[in-house]
Amino acid sequence: MRVLPERLPRPPAIPRRGPLREDAFPSRLHDPRMAALLGIWLGVAFGVCFLTGLVSHFMQHPPSWLDWPARPVWLYRLTQGLHVATGLASIPLLLAKLWTVYPRLWEWPPVRSVAHALERLTIVPLVAGALFQLATGVANIAQWYRFRFFFTVTHYWVAWITIGALLLHIAAKVTVVRANVGRGRAGRARDAGGPGSDQAEPEPEPEPEPEPEPEPEPEPEPEPEPEPGPEPKPKPKPDGPGSDGPRTGEPTGDAVDIDPRAAPDPAGTGLSRRGLGIAVGAAAGVITVTSAGQFVPGLASLDLLGPRRPDVGPQGLPVNRTAAAARVRTLARDPGYRLEVVGPRPYTLSLVELRAFGQHISTLPITCVEGWSADATWHGPRLRDLLDAAGIPAGATVRVESLESRGGYRASEVRPPHARDPLTLLATGLDGADLNLDHGYPARLIAPNRPGVLQTKWVHRVVML
Amino acid sequence: MKRSGVRPTVGAVVRGLVAVAGLAVLGYGVHGLLGMPHATHPPQAARWLIGGLLLHDLVAFPVTAAVGFVLTRLVRAPYRAVVQGTLLASVSVALASLPLWRGYGGAPDNPSVDPLPYGRNLAIVLGAVWAVAAALIAMRALRARRGRRAAPDGS
Repeated sequence: MRVLPERLPRPPAIPRRGPLREDAFPSRLHDPRMAALLGIWLGVAFGVCFLTGLVSHFMQHPPSWLDWPARPVWLYRLTQGLHVATGLASIPLLLAKLWTVYPRLWEWPPVRSVAHALERLTIVPLVAGALFQLATGVANIAQWYRFRFFFTVTHYWVAWITIGALLLHIAAKVTVVRANVGRGRAGRARDAGGPGSDQAEPEPEPEPEPEPEPEPEPEPEPEPEPEPGPEPKPKPKPDGPGSDGPRTGEPTGDAVDIDPRAAPDPAGTGLSRRGLGIAVGAAAGVITVTSAGQFVPGLASLDLLGPRRPDVGPQGLPVNRTAAAARVRTLARDPGYRLEVVGPRPYTLSLVELRAFGQHISTLPITCVEGWSADATWHGPRLRDLLDAAGIPAGATVRVESLESRGGYRASEVRPPHARDPLTLLATGLDGADLNLDHGYPARLIAPNRPGVLQTKWVHRVVML
Repeated sequence: MKRSGVRPTVGAVVRGLVAVAGLAVLGYGVHGLLGMPHATHPPQAARWLIGGLLLHDLVAFPVTAAVGFVLTRLVRAPYRAVVQGTLLASVSVALASLPLWRGYGGAPDNPSVDPLPYGRNLAIVLGAVWAVAAALIAMRALRARRGRRAAPDGS
């Protein structure tokens, strides 16, 4: 570990041109406080996306010990709607964050120590993963598949990569954040140089100049005042009126001795920190307002830029996979259709018998993994009544099978909390009419708090497992 | 100058643990990605991962910087911030709905996917955004004029 903070030899002095130039990035928004604030918000947003994504993943692939509850009815609607809405709202956050930190890409010298090199290396999976997750997410909700990998699996694994890189990034940057955000940050900025507070911290050290003088010591050593001292150029008066640290761009890493809020944004040079914050917030707000109507009840009329409208589709309800796409058009309309229930006392029902089996009404949302959801009123026999008639015990898990001959979602497992829920139907109708073919005619599963891909359509068999 | 005598603080230990956890999580993700090559198609996934990074660093940022530079020439200071912020919002909104208004995606046999007139809708949304921006600019102009009238020798 000792080797980590060890200073590496300086690279040969080359003329610093282009983006390597000292003042290549004059925008005052390239500053550590801005980066820290945006980082916090982005971290929260990605955290929400990750956790809601895990919920969705483990609802679809539950481990044997995990039985999801059937209530609250709206839980998956909330988590998945939040997943997509938060991801979309992260777009301006990520763009702004990358803008503020971009000069770091060209920092000089490129690596100062082994720790610094490792820290920089973790930025690659972090930025690549973040851009990848947002881009593939945007493409997937529009059902735009230009990539050859399977979306859900790849999005899932890259999420782990991104979150892992984010944890590493947090570990590396938390002192910078603390020195730039919150009450008492000036004090923490001073302490950040104190002994032991951040041994491997590459951040708070002053950006070394093209070197007229001995390098500033990277390690926070017991020597008094290591950091403001060697600072050659930003006038380091923390609160003097002339201190516009952020102005020069170069987030010189001297995060630690600047209290940027004490430095008022100089008027009239363009977007201020606050202005960028407002712009990012406004962008996130506009994106949310114009797309959240695809899952929030009552907001459908504002849904201008969502990939779905909850009231557009056959019988006023969107469809994800049509009967044609599932290749069941002929089979589903076959008058010889029979529902087979396989258990201790197996039996079959024709469609007429199924309809006569008992009609119950459930108002339940259909909630897609793509983030949209729509309320609907379904009718048909309760699943639990069908299971009871076959002598299937209350603790049994069943498999509901579709007429589809292939595909990952041709069957789904229904565990007892959902199988026995009084709201769970093998629906034969929707809003008082027969099911549309695309909604799963002759019969489909509809259960509370369950991803749409598991609400199996065109059901012809229910098997006790 | 050696730190042998310095005991790590609680904060440093916690950061170390977070870093180790991060490394483990990252490794788990890479392992999972490589472990399901049929679904994840690792070379393709890698191309998109690296491609996104390069697209941002070598195209998106420089273009943004160039636009920012042009703005400094075209728009005067008190109004420039409004234009910059509005551009950021516009680009974000357009990116978030890119496949929709470009007409990518959707399924030919499923009219409930991407069913709206997105080009028109984007124009409405951006029109509203820029209307707010225009109002802000007008307010700033008004304030500047009042300021000048109040202090005629001001500038």
